[in-house]
Amino acid sequence: MTEVLMPNTLAEALSMISKDGHDVLILGSGSDVIPRIREREIEPKKVLDLSGLGSELNYIRTEGKVIRIGALVTVRQIIDNELFKGRLDAFLQAGRMFGGPQIRNMATVGGNLGAASSSEDLIPIFIALDARVKMASIDGDRLVPVSKLVVAKRQIDRRPNEIIREIYFEMPDESSWTAFFKAGRRNSLIIDLINMAMYLKLNIDGTKIEDIRIALNRVRGKTPERAYKTEEYLRGKRIENETIARAQEVLDSEVQLSSDFRASAEYRKSLDKVILARLINNCRDRIVEGRRTGN
Amino acid sequence: MKDILLEFKVNGQPKKVYVDPNDRLLDVLRDYLDIKSPKEGCGTGDCGLCTVTLDGKPVLSCLTFAFQARGKEVTTVEGLGNGKELSPMQQALRDAGAAQCGFCTPAMEIMVTDLLKRVDNPTDSQIKEQISGTLCRCTGYYPIVEAVKKIKEEER
Repeated sequence: MTEVLMPNTLAEALSMISKDGHDVLILGSGSDVIPRIREREIEPKKVLDLSGLGSELNYIRTEGKVIRIGALVTVRQIIDNELFKGRLDAFLQAGRMFGGPQIRNMATVGGNLGAASSSEDLIPIFIALDARVKMASIDGDRLVPVSKLVVAKRQIDRRPNEIIREIYFEMPDESSWTAFFKAGRRNSLIIDLINMAMYLKLNIDGTKIEDIRIALNRVRGKTPERAYKTEEYLRGKRIENETIARAQEVLDSEVQLSSDFRASAEYRKSLDKVILARLINNCRDRIVEGRRTGN
Repeated sequence: MKDILLEFKVNGQPKKVYVDPNDRLLDVLRDYLDIKSPKEGCGTGDCGLCTVTLDGKPVLSCLTFAFQARGKEVTTVEGLGNGKELSPMQQALRDAGAAQCGFCTPAMEIMVTDLLKRVDNPTDSQIKEQISGTLCRCTGYYPIVEAVKKIKEEER
């Protein structure tokens, strides 16, 4: 690359890409992009560095039930924030296994959404939370449901004049929980074979699944997707072994996972089925436990 | 082409360097400023041996462009001690045999310093977690964990 744009405000950044934004790469921390530039996998002419925008894009805010996360918030800031200890447990589970400690200090939420590689662990969690991404441009903000964000591997619905500004979602209520699991070959520094995020809400008396959202990565074309049919099957059901076994079959027929040098599609499917059962039980246990202890 | 003026602080000293857009923070530290403690092991974010702190937080200098450090403060192992004697942390690592070939030692020291700044009496799992992104092929990690526990015992 030959030119670096270093804005000090978001307004300045947006005007810099208002015309010729298509050949500008937006840089969060660089932890994903730098090796790819050095391998010549991508050869951007211009880079727009967001590191001067910390005062505008680094925040975690709550407005009523809504939680807003600025694009420059790091994985580490999420893990350390009290807001994520409890029903948003999925973030802690993902965060603890996200790269190593140094990467967690660097990697940003906006970068995770923007890079949209199949190993970006935060995207399935945001999908399970039905989050919305706020894109900023000189023409104003545009909202993109995160479930529609990734259009193909490493391609997102972002226009050349836009910058990811924020992602927001509703805090799950006291009858719900979120969980996440990823499987890899070891615990640290892994690119996962598969991951799954879940939002689960129980009904008033805690006997049935009132609502559930399941998101997996590496589905068709290596993009993250919801398991709508599995969700539909589980909605309104009691959590029993038979139900879970049937849900595993639905999931198995629903998702089309891809094979690569890390694992075969068959292996990924059998992992997914195990993880589905584990996450349902984990969410249920934590909701029930929370009710008993009054949290 | 070196066309970006980078102004930042390294180990407390203000520095001004002209850098190329493609230079990484690691390149500037090693090649321009002759600070050799951060090492390039893999260059892809797997080994952790290029770890320095940027505004107080351990980051990988091989995955950071030099221009991203503008206006910020970088600390390497050269800035940890007084340059003459080993600090208690460094002495403990040495006594435990936690520094063998020495290639990972600067990165380990940055990570250990960061942990002890935040946690008073780290548990084994906290120590292991903290050094999980920094590879060592000599020690098997056990002596490093033992050394870190000793440092705190000495301070108590």
